[in-house]
Amino acid sequence: MSIVEVNHLKKYYGKSRGIEDVTFSIEEGEIFGFIGPNGAGKSTTIRTLLALIRPTAGSATIFGLDCIRNAPQIARRVGYLPSEVFYYDGMRVLELLKYSASFYRRDCAARIRELADALDLDLKKKIEDLSFGNRKKVGIVQAILHEPGLIILDEPTAGLDPLMQQRFFELLRAENRKGATVLFSSHVLSEVRKLCNRVAIIKEGRIVNVDTISALQDNGYKKITLEAKGAVSQAEYALEGVTSLTVQGNLVTFLYQGGVNALLHMLAERELINVTIEEPDLEEIFLHYYR
Amino acid sequence: MSIFLHELRFYRRNTAIWTASLCAGTALLFSMFPAFAGNTQALEDVLRNYPDVVQKAFGLSPETIGTVPGFYSFIVTFLMLCGAVQAISLGISVLSKEIAGKTADFLLTRPLTRGRVLTAKLLAVLCCVAATSAVSIGATFAMAFSVKDAAFDLGPFVLMALSFFWVQLIFLALGFLIGAAAPKIRSVLPISLSTVFGLFIVGMVAAALDQKDLYYLSPFKYFDTVGILQTSAYQTSFVVTAAAVTALAVCAGYAVYGRRDIQAA
Repeated sequence: MSIVEVNHLKKYYGKSRGIEDVTFSIEEGEIFGFIGPNGAGKSTTIRTLLALIRPTAGSATIFGLDCIRNAPQIARRVGYLPSEVFYYDGMRVLELLKYSASFYRRDCAARIRELADALDLDLKKKIEDLSFGNRKKVGIVQAILHEPGLIILDEPTAGLDPLMQQRFFELLRAENRKGATVLFSSHVLSEVRKLCNRVAIIKEGRIVNVDTISALQDNGYKKITLEAKGAVSQAEYALEGVTSLTVQGNLVTFLYQGGVNALLHMLAERELINVTIEEPDLEEIFLHYYR
Repeated sequence: MSIFLHELRFYRRNTAIWTASLCAGTALLFSMFPAFAGNTQALEDVLRNYPDVVQKAFGLSPETIGTVPGFYSFIVTFLMLCGAVQAISLGISVLSKEIAGKTADFLLTRPLTRGRVLTAKLLAVLCCVAATSAVSIGATFAMAFSVKDAAFDLGPFVLMALSFFWVQLIFLALGFLIGAAAPKIRSVLPISLSTVFGLFIVGMVAAALDQKDLYYLSPFKYFDTVGILQTSAYQTSFVVTAAAVTALAVCAGYAVYGRRDIQAA
């Protein structure tokens, strides 16, 4: 069964676009990446899944339940960490976490302490006295303390130092091993690659591709770097299968998709000093989608 | 249940301060009563010199100002004004603080319907208002009995004292609707004050012009103290209006908040 199913979800705020047409599904046990630049509609999609906003059209289900109509039932098994966390300033960390736990009909005291230890979080401090990164830690504990079946993270790593990021990812992997499905939105590719099995790429409110990380990397693109004898013009390399072409003096780089023989034929016709052919970085593939 | 307790804890100091201030105000105003009661004749003469319009606007009646109920009918207006500000502020802030403080995301992703969240919050501020009303009405009775110079008719006095609570209820409901519907309120007090004083002035103008139809526009006039003093009763049409306004504001608040989009912080 799909844990999350999003069907042609659309959201307009008055006349301005939130998302245009978003469709994807997440299988049980996946760590699913949701990638796109700022303003592409990641948060809008997530906030609709959480019933914080109502879709203009389309629908979504979580655990097979409608995300708007059955929101409270779904929420019992969902943990959510927003990109910027805000809590009640006057409360102490432990008070806030207990307040949060009180909604889930279970005793989370031991788990709160265990998670706080793992993240180096001082439970006695007041929320208002916490730094941005420490608030984030409160958010992380709050999001997973009730051992949710689905963890939704909206650009969660902002404000965490590299060490904490690593511990956070370890916690997520541990939850994942216990059976939790994860939806991880980000515009930072490296972290998505580290963590996720599959990604959906969103652009201007539409999903442009959903694939596994390895398939995305293994999609036939080659990254070519050439050093020619003497200056070359852009037009010489504007051929079929060539994208992301840059020419600087006698240095040429481009992405190539197509038959390797055709490529080598083409290269053999030119006066070259040097050539390297490599697998492109994930970054470069993504940039390709956004051109 | 935990939201209810959370809100009570959040507002307990605020409520204590409002209650203490209202009691102090009640005591201060009543302490002036002996001065009024002692010189009934002179006072009546002074008041009669005021233009009719002013007398009506302030609900002053020279014949009764020297009695405890008559005096109270005059001062309760000001106490109601304060009570209304407290109630509408509570109503607005109990919802708007989650939006302004960006904590709505946290609260509304808990496993509760928005209706349950609203009910818990509404009950909490209702308790605050009820506590304030109960204590300050208690203070009113204590002061009235300590300053009285002669026995007085308890009926209209009780009705007027209770009006304080009814007015608070109406304004709590209005505040609740504003809090549910308004986009983002950074500062609650300016909105509370302008709404309360606006409606108060409408009531004063209506009274000055002797336009009973305009009374429907101002909750302060639903329990018109001059009328209560004369008839020892509330006027049914206004009681119905008060109940309808309160119920409608609360229902509209639920309807609006239930469907509203909670924008990203």
